[in-house]
Amino acid sequence: MPHIVVCFKWVIDETYLRRAPGGGLDFSSVDYKLSDYDRNAIEEAVRIRTALGGTVTGITVGPPEAAKGVKDALSRGMDAGVFIADPAFVDLDPSQTVSLIAQAVRNHVGPFDLIICGEGSGDLYAQQVGPRLAEALGIDCVAFATQISLEGGTLTAQRRLEGVIEVVTAPLPALVTVLPEINTPRIPGVKDTLMAGKKPVRTLAKGDLGATGGPRLQTLAVRAAAMERACEKFGVEEAEVIRFVDALKKRGVLA
Amino acid sequence: MDFKLTEEQELIKKNMREFCEKYVDPIAAEIDENSRHPAEVFQKLAEGDWMGIPIPAQYGGSGADYLTHICAVEELARSCASTGFTVSIHVGIASMLILLFGNEEQKKTFLVPLAKGEKLGAFVLTEPGAGTDVMAATTTAVLDGDHYVINGTKTFTSNGPTGDTYLVFAWTDKAAGRKGMSAFIVPRGTPGMTAGNHFAKMGLRSSQTSEMLFKDCRVPKANLLGKEGNGLAMAMTGFDHGRTGIAAQAVGIIQAALEESVRYAKERVQFGQPIARHQAIAWMIADMATDLNAARFLTYHAAWLKDQGQPFSKEASMAKLFASEKAMHHTIKAVQIQGGYGYCKGAKVERLMRDAKITEIYEGTSEAQRMVISGNVLR
Amino acid sequence: MAVLWIFSETTASTKELLGLGRELISAVGGSITVLMGPDGEGREEWAAYGADEIILLPLLADGLAMEAHIPVIAAAAAEEKPDIILLPATARGREMAPRLAQRLDTGLCSNCVAVRWSGGDIEMDRVVYGGAAIQTVKFLTRPVMATVAPKTFSPPVPEEGRSARLRELPPLAAGTVPGVRIVEKREKRRLARDLTQAKVVVAAGRGLEKKEDLALVEEFASLVGGEVGCTRPLSEELHWLPTELCIGLSGVSVKPDLYIGVGVSGQVQHMTGVRGAKVIAAVNRDENAPIFAQADLGIVGDLYEALPKLITALKK
Repeated sequence: MPHIVVCFKWVIDETYLRRAPGGGLDFSSVDYKLSDYDRNAIEEAVRIRTALGGTVTGITVGPPEAAKGVKDALSRGMDAGVFIADPAFVDLDPSQTVSLIAQAVRNHVGPFDLIICGEGSGDLYAQQVGPRLAEALGIDCVAFATQISLEGGTLTAQRRLEGVIEVVTAPLPALVTVLPEINTPRIPGVKDTLMAGKKPVRTLAKGDLGATGGPRLQTLAVRAAAMERACEKFGVEEAEVIRFVDALKKRGVLA
Repeated sequence: MDFKLTEEQELIKKNMREFCEKYVDPIAAEIDENSRHPAEVFQKLAEGDWMGIPIPAQYGGSGADYLTHICAVEELARSCASTGFTVSIHVGIASMLILLFGNEEQKKTFLVPLAKGEKLGAFVLTEPGAGTDVMAATTTAVLDGDHYVINGTKTFTSNGPTGDTYLVFAWTDKAAGRKGMSAFIVPRGTPGMTAGNHFAKMGLRSSQTSEMLFKDCRVPKANLLGKEGNGLAMAMTGFDHGRTGIAAQAVGIIQAALEESVRYAKERVQFGQPIARHQAIAWMIADMATDLNAARFLTYHAAWLKDQGQPFSKEASMAKLFASEKAMHHTIKAVQIQGGYGYCKGAKVERLMRDAKITEIYEGTSEAQRMVISGNVLR
Repeated sequence: MAVLWIFSETTASTKELLGLGRELISAVGGSITVLMGPDGEGREEWAAYGADEIILLPLLADGLAMEAHIPVIAAAAAEEKPDIILLPATARGREMAPRLAQRLDTGLCSNCVAVRWSGGDIEMDRVVYGGAAIQTVKFLTRPVMATVAPKTFSPPVPEEGRSARLRELPPLAAGTVPGVRIVEKREKRRLARDLTQAKVVVAAGRGLEKKEDLALVEEFASLVGGEVGCTRPLSEELHWLPTELCIGLSGVSVKPDLYIGVGVSGQVQHMTGVRGAKVIAAVNRDENAPIFAQADLGIVGDLYEALPKLITALKK
């Protein structure tokens, strides 16, 4: 019966981001959520466990406030959580995150068969943690799967690339990243949420793990995405609509 | 003081909002238009354990607190006031009364399927001549061997046509006055109990309301809820819970009115600028947001008192009175903000305004709430 | 002087990477190496487009996917220490780049949309928070690595008569052969319409009330000579249109002359996929919809009123 590890992240809900005067970002009214892509990863792990038995362990890295995210993730059917928590773990670069997760998996999670990651995180969407983690652990990697199954120590995955669908196999243990189309994540029921708080969570502090090394990337700035556009508005009256069509023609984009 | 919901309450509220966006919002206008009971939504609600949140797990519920249930009703009502209300009366009155006053056997037989959402509960008290004046009721229950025989006519029964498990109130000893009424658990299909006329309502249209007719309806003695003569006291306890639910329903309605108003006011341009920049509109929205906060705090506070095991009758009435009157006031304003568009079918605010009105009427009119509150204050 | 490596997956992406590579190298001097499959097909072209050297990757055994090249490339890069490695932000590129970066213990900028020299350092921009913001990064380690968003950089003008050195890398050492095997490969059902090639793209959004109303959008699109795409909810939640027509962060990016969003609110996840359009136009009844702040021309009005009027105007 497989032991599946899922990686997830508690991220800023970007719908609450506002542009601040001066082109920066206004984080004042932000709320947090479980990264949408990771909901698919958790759902897939739980789906496999429901079919084959076994256990699902979720793992995340973040500041102590992300504890709510651990509960949210557990309410989606995982059996246990590993929470690598430190106030400093806010803006880690992917190589640092991977170093922490790899150490936790090696030393605190025990033998596993499969690691499932979302295709990327909902905030930075660097899409690096999954593939990097496979390398760090020295296991096979299949990215962008739209369908997966486990049988007799082998992972079979269908992956979607540009213009082509590939079906691949890999010996376990392996790591797979999944696309949102792989499933429809559940909305947790009341009991799921209440039970989440009773599931075992192992919290690891900085001192429980070795050094991560410094960042490989340095963020110089994060600013609101500006699209420099004319922002010319038209009404919906007939004359206005004709003026709109003429404006498109004048710009040479309409024959 | 702690004004924060717990992590669980916050997550559950969020999940309910997601549930509503997925399953309720898309059909809310249609079930209002057609006065349809959305059985498919209640099926999903049952699957997610939403139909028995404050009922202990041993009786088929989720075992959460009452405030969590109140949060769920608020979110449901934000999408569809009817659906929110149906859950409120099912949980807050029908299920809670069996939980509080039922014996072990009754809880196993009747509460478990209610809490699991397999059955729908109804509260059968009001009569044509007995609204706020409950004592004017005429329905009787006469002991005959192992059965009570109920005769009479009830009206405005929510979930009347769709219910499975009815809590029916009738006189067992009219002469005993306030200690003469008793409550009975009557399952659907009991001979002698039928749903009469269905009411076509101004609002709350997908909630099903009907008369309930009792003609020599024989109910086993075992279905007497609590003690004989305790009916009225139990009904009042039911109201404390139910009114907190109606307050939550009204809070959900105000929340929806505010969101609709903000959206429209930013979008609608008159005199060369979005109407949100006109002070007349901006101030309506300021008042709406302020009253929403006040109504929500009153409501959560009443539920919190309940969860602390403290009396909450007065606070439930205050929350219900304030939230329902503000819901009416602000849904009228929300229609005003949207002008002609808001007055037309298809505008959400039009439905909100029709739905808001009932919150001032059922489970005790505003006037009845003022009686309760003043009675408490002037004691 | 900088040595820049490019991993070649598709012709189009390689040309774009060479465009970016030449821009970078022309500023500081240096050379460009293209790593490509063992058949070397089309390598003469890469010389004209600016490659100074071609490295042929070893032949892969049957069933191995292109990702199997990772150990070979990583070993060569560790040995030869190029300054910059660029990969296309295709699915394969997005898997290979972080794995290579991990082996080389270096930083990677994913899905980069802009590059510039700043002092002696390279700075890159990338899109974050679903498109709401741009993150600028610099590299603290070498090599500098990036995956480059498709259609972000233009291919260079080819120069006839340029040639490139050619060499081969040795095959996979025993023990480095990955376990992943391709057991089946099928071309995706080709859609009649290819959004990425369209000159005009009309995107349908949540403003549409029902699936049948797509016909109205189709009619309008055909009059402006455009293809119809959509926002994520329409393809992924409502399933009104196939996934391939979903535009945005997790769908396709388009770069048409004209993009028209119809009933599209302008959520960042969608707009990030149309950033490259020459002209952005919108029809939306919500004047405060974010799309108007990101559009050149916009009709504020109900699409059910605007589209029929547009159709009439266009037919004249």
